[in-house]
Amino acid sequence: MMGKAYKDLETIKIIEDGAREYSESIINTVREPLIVLDQSLRVVTVSRSFYEVFKVKPKETVGQLIYDLGNRQWNIPKLRELLETILPQKTTFENYEVEHDFTTIGKRIMLLNARQIHRVLGKERIILLAIEDITERREIENGLEKTRKELESIKKSADEASEFAESIINTVREPLISLDQNLRVVTVSRSFYEVFKVKPEETVGQLIYDLGNKQWDIPQLRELLETILPQKATFDNYEVEHDFTTIGKRIMLLNARQIHRVLGKERIILLAIEDITERREIENGLKKASEELKELAVELKRTARVKSEFLANMSHELRTPLNSINGFSEVLYDETFGPLNEKQKKYVQNVSTSGKHLLQLINQILDMAKVEAGKMKLALSSLHMKNLLNEISLLFADMVSKKRITMALEIAEDLPDIEADELKVKEILYNLLSNAVKFTPESGELGLRAKKTGSVIEIVVWDTGIGIATENMEKVFEGFFRVDTPYSRVTEGTGLGLPLSRKLVELHGGKLSIESPGLNKGTLVRFTLPIESREVA
Amino acid sequence: MGKRALIVDDNENNLMLEKDLLEVVGLEVFEAKNATDGIAMARKLMPDIMIMDIRLPDMRGSEAAMILRRDKGTCDIPIVFVTASVMAEGMDEIKNVTNSGFIGKPINTRTFARDVIQFIKSE
Repeated sequence: MMGKAYKDLETIKIIEDGAREYSESIINTVREPLIVLDQSLRVVTVSRSFYEVFKVKPKETVGQLIYDLGNRQWNIPKLRELLETILPQKTTFENYEVEHDFTTIGKRIMLLNARQIHRVLGKERIILLAIEDITERREIENGLEKTRKELESIKKSADEASEFAESIINTVREPLISLDQNLRVVTVSRSFYEVFKVKPEETVGQLIYDLGNKQWDIPQLRELLETILPQKATFDNYEVEHDFTTIGKRIMLLNARQIHRVLGKERIILLAIEDITERREIENGLKKASEELKELAVELKRTARVKSEFLANMSHELRTPLNSINGFSEVLYDETFGPLNEKQKKYVQNVSTSGKHLLQLINQILDMAKVEAGKMKLALSSLHMKNLLNEISLLFADMVSKKRITMALEIAEDLPDIEADELKVKEILYNLLSNAVKFTPESGELGLRAKKTGSVIEIVVWDTGIGIATENMEKVFEGFFRVDTPYSRVTEGTGLGLPLSRKLVELHGGKLSIESPGLNKGTLVRFTLPIESREVA
Repeated sequence: MGKRALIVDDNENNLMLEKDLLEVVGLEVFEAKNATDGIAMARKLMPDIMIMDIRLPDMRGSEAAMILRRDKGTCDIPIVFVTASVMAEGMDEIKNVTNSGFIGKPINTRTFARDVIQFIKSE
């Protein structure tokens, strides 16, 4: 009995040993670290892979409290919770993920599976704990996830890029067309349709040359697309002129790029077509205009020269007979060769006066022309201005006293000599004083002031005469503008005195301006002359 | 006075006016219408004064003057040039002519004869 029982026991033991051996071999075969704990959580068995993975030695392991393994590295709160709280209640847990930073092997992510089982023939509980190190897997998974996300974003950005490209194509004002490698139309910008008057349904998928009833079968375009592009993958600014049936003759600037599609061996050709017909027309127009302008400039120069020559000749041709008229009438008036009766004397005086007026006119017109043509040369010398001003004022003494006009001279003591053309300066003063006398009524006043102001002298000729209406202020410089007044007849002046004087002042590098508070309120002419000549060419 | 004046001018009106004005003050006046004639007459007449236009049909008045100056007989005859150009350019061409002066064009009929007489006297 005992023997049998013993034998049974033996048999059971053998079976048990076999089962243990089997289970141990499983434990040692599986790649997954496996650990067997007794009910007090001390290590019973550990799989080889456990040692390998967690770098612990067998003799430091078996019989140890699991938490004390590898210098208490296994004292993981989450593990404690699993083993001490969850497992006693549920006898099993699956796929608990625990992340822990081990001193020896660094941060690990583990997947814990546990079973609480009763040992065969005993009340003893044992705990089977499978620890899967999923760090690498997780890393791979994370990597995969990242890659997937990247791929997604690439795809998204590729979509966006292609959308972006499409929107560019449709946004640019320049007609744009994309072709596949067989030169069939893939995409066309809206502007292409608009500019070249073709319809979308007649375009996409068509051979480019067939577009718009074969209007695009342009030899030069064929050469570019079939010969040049395959060799160079790009061409820039090829000018092509073509007579389209629908839109007439156009000049286009072609730019093309041959590109490979993303993720594919397919080539596509991007062709930008700029219609430069109008631009070219404008350019040609400009070119023509500039040529015409050049011709005009040459012609103008020639005309100016002819005008100068004409005026120079006219000066001689007009003045010679006029000098005779003036000379003879003067001699007659002087009765050098016998007395004239009253009528004769009156007539010959009119001839003489008109002749002199005409001569003055001719001289002033010629001077104006000379100044304008830049041909007026100044004969510069040092002028004693105080003397010159006194001399000039004396010339008007008679006229002034006849009209009972008071003339005031205010010449500064320190008025310097100036460098200027004596005849011209006298002419300026003579013109201005003549005007002052002419346009001032009897018993009026006029004056001449002169002073030094910095590097110039300033001369003012003023009067209390008829003044200038505001609206005529600029007209007085236009030439031949004259005011008929009760005090003067139109024939007395040439209307050129003031404009010519201004030009002569400016020729010296000075300025001449006129002021008048209004009609019948007097006039003031102010001009400057540089003390040291700075002749204006 | 019995003084002789020779006027060289291609403009008949000028010629007539100047002649009349000089005759009024008692000069005996001769006329030439170009430089060549003027030079020939000067050599023959030996005038006391010559009134010469600067612009003459065959040559410049200044050139005619230089020809006269090279000739012993005529080198001392005073010459009054009548010129429209009192500008530097015109003055340049007569400044080298010895014993000469100038009167601007148009002539002043009231002072012309007096100026000419003055010039003869000052010589």
